[in-house]
Amino acid sequence: MLTSWILTAAGAAFAVALELFEALAIVLAVGISRRWSDAALGALGAIVILAVVALLVGPVLLASLPLSVLRVVVGVALLLFGLEWLRKGVLRLAGRRTRSDSLREYLEEREAMEALPPPAPGQPDWPARVVAGKGVLLEGLEVVLIVAALSGGSQGAAPALVGAAVAVVLVAAIGLVVHRPLARVPESHLKYAVGVMLSSFGVFFLAEGLKVDWPGGDAALLYLAAALLLVSQLHVRRLAT
Amino acid sequence: MNALWKMIAGETRVLPIGVSLVLLGGLLLQGAGWWDRAGGFVLLAGVIAVLSASLPRRVP
Repeated sequence: MLTSWILTAAGAAFAVALELFEALAIVLAVGISRRWSDAALGALGAIVILAVVALLVGPVLLASLPLSVLRVVVGVALLLFGLEWLRKGVLRLAGRRTRSDSLREYLEEREAMEALPPPAPGQPDWPARVVAGKGVLLEGLEVVLIVAALSGGSQGAAPALVGAAVAVVLVAAIGLVVHRPLARVPESHLKYAVGVMLSSFGVFFLAEGLKVDWPGGDAALLYLAAALLLVSQLHVRRLAT
Repeated sequence: MNALWKMIAGETRVLPIGVSLVLLGGLLLQGAGWWDRAGGFVLLAGVIAVLSASLPRRVP
């Protein structure tokens, strides 16, 4: 029980933090190169849309499904997200794909925004609002779907929401203090680890939804993660040589 | 819409198709007598096969 709670909270925290790092990079780039008020308005508009989606996906959709169907839906959703993160993680660690780097994305976005004509004084800066809003919306939508999926597990919504809240506070604090993405966060390794965790939860919930009794109960998450870690590391070594 | 679809389905069709096949296999096999004890490992093997199929076969 405790194993599942901690793994769910940690999985949500890392997944949310990594997605928010990418959203933060875009908003900071827009704010510094254009106007902070327009970057904030664009981000705020996206957050309002995300709140509506979260209300629809969370309490309405998840609560209206029977438990076994809910676990199958949650398992499939987590497998789709987790395996994609894991696949990209294997390719990045094997050197077959560019490493994930929010600082590089920040610098590229900043350069692109500075190439646009400066906003007229007193007029809304729509390019800045749209770029900041789109960045937050796309990254935030993945956050909403992952947290909603993790909330459909046997522990309920509490561990996923606690993990997500910790991540939001941490990333917002970093954004307020340093005003640029951190250079030394090992994003590729963290995304790979989150891919292993989300895929493990996906297999676990899918099987539970299909009436499987896991040997060891919630501790099955540990040997599922170990199996996926082992197989994915073998692929990393195969592709790196 | 392209960005949204890419986010949900990923960059390769192998993953959504493979996960669908794993789900279908699970639904077909869940009535078997051994399923409640060993079905999870069958699903895990299917997921590992999907992951392996989504990665490049050989180093160029």
